[in-house]
Amino acid sequence: MRRIIDNDYLTVISRLVVGVTFIWASVYKIADPLSFANAIWNYHLAPSSLINITSLLMPWVELLAGIGLILGLFYRGSILLINLMTILFLIALGSAVVRGLDIDCGCFKAGGSGKGSALEGFLRDIPLLALTLQLWFSRSRKWMIDRA
Amino acid sequence: MAIKQAFYILVISAVIGFGLNLVRADRIPWVGQWRTLHTGEGPVKPPDPEPGDPPFVTIDQAQLEFNSGGTIFVDARDPEEFDCGTIPGSVSIPFDYLPEGALAPFFDSCFGGIPYDSRIIVFCSGDECDLSIHLARNLQAEGYTDLAIFFGGAREWERFGLPMERRVECGE
Repeated sequence: MRRIIDNDYLTVISRLVVGVTFIWASVYKIADPLSFANAIWNYHLAPSSLINITSLLMPWVELLAGIGLILGLFYRGSILLINLMTILFLIALGSAVVRGLDIDCGCFKAGGSGKGSALEGFLRDIPLLALTLQLWFSRSRKWMIDRA
Repeated sequence: MAIKQAFYILVISAVIGFGLNLVRADRIPWVGQWRTLHTGEGPVKPPDPEPGDPPFVTIDQAQLEFNSGGTIFVDARDPEEFDCGTIPGSVSIPFDYLPEGALAPFFDSCFGGIPYDSRIIVFCSGDECDLSIHLARNLQAEGYTDLAIFFGGAREWERFGLPMERRVECGE
């Protein structure tokens, strides 16, 4: 198991998959912070005074941590933030499913086409968490700027 | 080390994210007017509009457009009710006091000459009043093209704890 987790190739593929996912997810949120704020509000979890601040801050954390993951720059910090965000998304999506909220996940796109339900988002987040946890525990440090 | 790096990433994100919001055209307020939840009753569900009438919007949509700042809200109620409490920044056009004759110059003066394709949401007090529908039909007839009616009206807006603009103190 340890050898699988530490595998250089598996680790670099995980970095690419997770990194691209987070970068991709950040794009619409950066382009349209109001739609993302509305998506956060739909979850009925965050205090309303913090919604707009969150919608301005979080997409950039997603983007920078995603880039950091791929380049291996600020790598441990990036992987920590990505794990925390993935767990946060899992909790938010799971609670939306449990509460029966019929909401758009707000993960990759705001409303319109490509609308994903909270349940779809939740199910998609589980394999994502498996990858981010693998990266957290992997000791592989190949092909990273941090090491150079 | 991980925590220190994560902190750096958060700081850089905050600088870029908040800094960009200072300069971009479609900036959003730092604290949005999102309504508080768990108020018991759910939002008012509007009926289907009559053919040719402007569409209805729910409070979710009204709230979103209010936060985005690009929409003009029009209060169709009487001036006394407008003064007692309305959606902040609304324009008062009481339907019952519309002047005789040509309406186009009157609407023009109410709005200060906005383009006819501006986004306008008309409302009155709530689901029992039809002033908003009548006023919206008049606006539509005068050539305003991007109209909607917030069916829940001022009462639903207040019930959900959204901010109200009050010009005079009124008893219940």
